[in-house]
This record gives sequence, structure tokens and C-alpha cells, in this order.
Amino acid sequence: MRRVLEFAKSESLLVLTVVLFATAFVLAPGRAVQAARIGAGVFLGVLPIIVAVFAALGLFNVWIDKKAVARRLGEGSGIGTIVIASLFGTILVGPVYVVFPLLKAVREHGARWAIVGAVLTAWAVKIPMVPLEIGFLGLRFSLSRSILVAVSAIPLGLLLEYVMRIRTGEASRPGPD
Amino acid sequence: MERYIGYGYLVAALIGYLVTMQRSKQKAQQAAASSVKSFLGVAPTFLAVFGLVGLLEVFVPPALIERTLGAEGGLLSLFLGGAVGSVAAGPPVAAYPIAASLLSGGAWMPAVAAFIVSWTLVGFVSLPFEAKTFGWRFALVRNGFSFVFALVIGILMGAIV
Repeated sequence: MRRVLEFAKSESLLVLTVVLFATAFVLAPGRAVQAARIGAGVFLGVLPIIVAVFAALGLFNVWIDKKAVARRLGEGSGIGTIVIASLFGTILVGPVYVVFPLLKAVREHGARWAIVGAVLTAWAVKIPMVPLEIGFLGLRFSLSRSILVAVSAIPLGLLLEYVMRIRTGEASRPGPD
Repeated sequence: MERYIGYGYLVAALIGYLVTMQRSKQKAQQAAASSVKSFLGVAPTFLAVFGLVGLLEVFVPPALIERTLGAEGGLLSLFLGGAVGSVAAGPPVAAYPIAASLLSGGAWMPAVAAFIVSWTLVGFVSLPFEAKTFGWRFALVRNGFSFVFALVIGILMGAIV
């Protein structure tokens, strides 16, 4: 029972959908079936892309040594490092409970706030997921969004660092100066 | 065109696996295991989202979408798109199908763009965790700026796409 509750809590979207479908089925069974058919049709249409995206995700995971990149980001402090941080961020895919601790480690290795901010912004690009986005929203939409978000990473990172330093007297880099 | 990109990516991934396998069988196995694990992690969300897309199509009249997220609404639509994206919790793969349904239902493109960008950039639900990791100042400032950036990117998208 507890496991069921935990599952329901972590998959609240699925619970919501099931409840909505149950309600729809009681009120208008014909249209509920139609909705399920449409959903299944959309799913089958993008299935090849989903398979490709997740297959490639595994490759990204084994070929990119996240911990090594984290160490490197801690060592540099120039604008070049922020650019590298942004590029790294664009290919980064993973849930918050993986990415936040990773960046905390980056910060503890001595990285500037701007680097943490830039990675977190560029993380929204999610290049490995772009093929799926193209499938749903088209090439132009996906490319423009990706480029605009990637370009935002550096100014947003610097802006964030600026605010982090206001009235704290905190150095841009942690650790002994 | 979009379909071919999917198949092209599938072929590219396959080649990636073949190359990896040649270098190290173990690495290829790790990659495959990690892929399956990632997919299983989001599978319930996929199930939910494709269900929601169907429900949206059948039960939500386009007039409602147009009224709340349409071009007529202007900045209010933009703000609403960004706000919904910010509070939405879930992997980004869930955002694309919903965004596509909203677009075909008559939503304003910049509002949909703001929705997608804030979905990935702003995390209202993960705010406490972000604050615990980096401190409240960092979490609030980053999410605040990110929300503004999401709206600006939405407007720029309207001009470009």
C-alpha cells in the first residue's frame, strides 16, 4: 500500500490522467475512447524518434565523463570556461536530483557562480531531446528555441553571479583566496 | 522532413552503438542499460502525456485555448504560457506533445515557446531542493531571471519563426 502511494506521488501526472480518463469514460464513453485512440496514434507516430532519443541518451552517458568535466569547470575562471560550461550544459540531460548535486560539486571544486548559472541555463537546451522536439514542433521552432536558450546561458550566468555578490562581499570563487 | 530526422537519428544512434561495441563491448552494454533505465524512468510520464494529448484534443474546445493562450491575449497569453510551464513538473519530453496540441488548438506561438522554455528553465516544484543545494538567494534569483528570459525568448521566437 505504501509503495502504491509512493508511486502515485511520484507519478502524479499519470494519476491525474487516469482520473481524467475515468471521469471522461463515465460521462462520455465514446469520446473517451476517441481520446485514447488519438493519444495512441500520436505516440506511435513519434515512436521511432523516442527510441532513437533514448538509445542515444545511453551513448551520451557512457562517452561523457561528467565528473571529469566538473573538475575542469572548477579549474578555469575566464569567459572561455563559461563558454565551455554552456556547451557542456547543452548536452546535459538528467533530472534535478542528478544535475543539482553535480553542479554543487562543480562549485565546490572552485567554479564561479556564473559557471553554475550558465550550465543550469544551457541544461534547458537538451540537445539529445531535440529530435523529439523537431518531431512535434518542427525544425524551425526547435532550432530557434535551442539557439536562443543557449545564447542566454552566458548573460544569465553573469547576471546571476552579479546578484549573488551584492552585499555578501563574497568572492566570485569559493575557497581560500 | 521531420519524420526523416527521426529515422536519421535512429540510424545515427545505431551507428553510435556499433562504433561503441567495436571499442568496448562493456561500454555498449552500459549505454544500452542506461538507455533502458532512462526510458523506464519516463515511461509513466509518456503514458500520461499521450493520454492527456488525446483528452485535450477531444474535450478542450479550441476556442478555450484561443481565449486563454491565443494571440489576442498578447502579453497575458505570454505570461500565462510561461507561468504554466514554470509550475508544470515533469520531464521536458512531456512538454513537446502538449505544446504541439496547444499550437494546433490555436495558441499563440510566443506563448507556447514561453511555455516550453520555462518548463525546462524554471522549476517551481524543485525550488526547495534548489535552495537546499545552492541557497535561497541563488534559487530565487535564478528562477526569477529565467522566467523573464523565457518570456523574452517567447517574443523573439514570434519574430523569428
